[in-house]
Amino acid sequence: MRNKFDEQLKRLHVELIQMGAACEDAISAAAEALLKGDVSLASAAVESERELDRRERDVENLCLKLLLQQQPVARDLREISAALKMISDLERIGDQAADIAELTSYVRVPDGSGVLHIADMTRAVIGMVTDSVDSFVKKDLELARSVCAADDRVDELFSQVKQELIDMIASDAAWGQQGLDLLMVAKYLERIGDHATNVAEWVEYSITGVHPSNN
Amino acid sequence: MTKRIFRATLTVALTVLLASLVLIVGVLHGYFQDRVLEELASRTSYIALGIEHEGMAYLEDGFPNDCRVTWVAADGAVLWDNREDPAKMENHADRSEVHEALVLGRGHAARYSDTLSQKTLYYALRLSDGSVLRVSDTQYSVWMLVLQALQPVALVMVLAFCLALWLAGRLARQLVEPINAVDLNDPGDEIDYEELAPLVGKLRSQKRQISRQMEDLRRQREEFAAITGNMSEGLLVIDRDTRVLSYNAAALRLLNAQAPAEGESVLTLNREPGFRRCVEEALAGRRREELLEREDGCRRLFASPVELDGQTGGAVIIVLDVTEQEQREALRREFTANVSHELKTPLTAILGTAEILENGMVKAGDIPHFAGNIHREAQRLIGLVNDIIKLSRLDEGGPTAQWETVDLHDAAEEVLRQLAPAAENKQVTMTLEGGPACARGVPQIVEELIYNLCDNAIAYNRPGGSVTVTVADTPEGGRVTVRDTGIGIPPEAQTRVFERFYRVDKSHSSGGTGLGLSIVKHGAAYLGARVELESEPGKGSTFTLVFPKITE
Repeated sequence: MRNKFDEQLKRLHVELIQMGAACEDAISAAAEALLKGDVSLASAAVESERELDRRERDVENLCLKLLLQQQPVARDLREISAALKMISDLERIGDQAADIAELTSYVRVPDGSGVLHIADMTRAVIGMVTDSVDSFVKKDLELARSVCAADDRVDELFSQVKQELIDMIASDAAWGQQGLDLLMVAKYLERIGDHATNVAEWVEYSITGVHPSNN
Repeated sequence: MTKRIFRATLTVALTVLLASLVLIVGVLHGYFQDRVLEELASRTSYIALGIEHEGMAYLEDGFPNDCRVTWVAADGAVLWDNREDPAKMENHADRSEVHEALVLGRGHAARYSDTLSQKTLYYALRLSDGSVLRVSDTQYSVWMLVLQALQPVALVMVLAFCLALWLAGRLARQLVEPINAVDLNDPGDEIDYEELAPLVGKLRSQKRQISRQMEDLRRQREEFAAITGNMSEGLLVIDRDTRVLSYNAAALRLLNAQAPAEGESVLTLNREPGFRRCVEEALAGRRREELLEREDGCRRLFASPVELDGQTGGAVIIVLDVTEQEQREALRREFTANVSHELKTPLTAILGTAEILENGMVKAGDIPHFAGNIHREAQRLIGLVNDIIKLSRLDEGGPTAQWETVDLHDAAEEVLRQLAPAAENKQVTMTLEGGPACARGVPQIVEELIYNLCDNAIAYNRPGGSVTVTVADTPEGGRVTVRDTGIGIPPEAQTRVFERFYRVDKSHSSGGTGLGLSIVKHGAAYLGARVELESEPGKGSTFTLVFPKITE
């Protein structure tokens, strides 16, 4: 009985890794589409998003099956409930990556990193997503906490980008349309950062048993 | 063990007790009954004798009242009885012993009382007048005897139970002690029970076998670990649930991953899309090859399914470091592109000039100029093709020419003679210094190396500059130094000048094919020589060829 349960827990772990990887695929495709202006990559992000939806349902089913049939307690229960929460965050990251990908056909990020810090923001957010998935894979508490810290940097970058966009539109009203789209992109990125933080927090919860928001 | 011994002891004790009880009661009872019957018979005949002589008077006279006496007439009516009133007694003719006596002269019978507790033995004798005299005696029945014996028997049983319990404990301890004393890890030859000898022998041989097998296994595992550990290729073996069964250090190094925990999924090592595709495809039963481009280099993955009982039971993934290979591949692609470009440039010029000439758009006086153009470009083309041929020969292992001892000084002198017109054109003075020095090599190649270096020294010189060739014999071997006072090579370009088609001056204004130094590098490598370069932009460059010492 216990053996089967362990087997299923392992499978859950693998499924989550795959979901995290799909999530990374989605956001890096979206980022590439955005930064290189390669619209063909946008469809890859949308494809990854669909895969994420499918995987989310699979993992959800597996979690519920585990909860109902095995009635886990203590650490196991924590891991499964954390998994249930994590997948919805991962799925949201995928959705937002797809949203960014859709916007790439309308916007063009101006060259020169000095003008707009959106590229920095993208890189920071991708780093956060990778680290949050990594912290889950390696059960690395330190890494999980560093993800939460990195979110502050992304928030900072968001306000910076917002100010830069205001300046751009003020200098040339023709930027209005693009500026608003870019603001949306920045907002999506900021949201992805928040979801990555959530994932990292659930990782911390599954390791320590205490959710960081309770501290 | 104690329990079994106890049970056996108790069973034996009780069985023996019951058997002897039954035997004794059975045999003795039969014996006593016979005795009683015999006594009854003699008593009967004695009383009968009395009656024959004295009649009823003998009976009335009385005699010891220890047994019952009945006198029955021939018709079965009771004539006299010493215990009951004869008038009240029924007819005795149908009693078996009486009936027997009436017919045969004597008879006997045994009858149980209503409660079975007593048994009455009868003996009957026919008297001479046809009447029958019956004497009977009662005794306890077998059942009564048994019942009476029950109390002592129960007592013995309790005793046997206690004795069995005590004996069993003692016996078990005594029996087990030598067995317990046997050291299972190292059973000696001395064993108290010979019945145990085969068991212990088997144990010993199995133990030897197991330790041998363990040793074999350990050695195999160590061999496997040593082989895979020293492999530069990464090796990963996974089961059908993607769990890592085996891995080597190279795999971790190439994937830049930490050692996975027991039963961990291979996806914890890496989860790049290419890697995941490999794992998925291999577990689906198909071979897959992928190239991972990472920050620390390129990795090629080969994933093959492992068949177990006709279905995919896992997969083997080989990780190769193909960074260098990919770089070489990129270099080759670049070379091909460069060659095509370099060949095309002079050809385009020739084609254009030839077209103008063909269309008759050139005045007769200008023809030599245009023909000169064609001539110059064609020469450049030939030079280029020659250089490429030289390079590819060196690439393939060099020309088949004979190795001999070459006088470097003579070779340098010959080169200077050949280049004298070119030097004069560029207003560059050339001097040869030093003394004789020898090296082993192919004369054409040695000359080619010095020629290329000097040619460059002239081509990249400034008007009025100088080229100094120094030949010296050093303890290390023959040495040729070509020093110029030309434009020099910037430090960042110094490592790249030996690459094919690399030019410091991107405008190609200085002529040449861009292959000269590449030929020098490959030629020197072929001869086992070393090329050294020192240069300062604006002041000049110094190339030194160091040939290996002649060892004969």
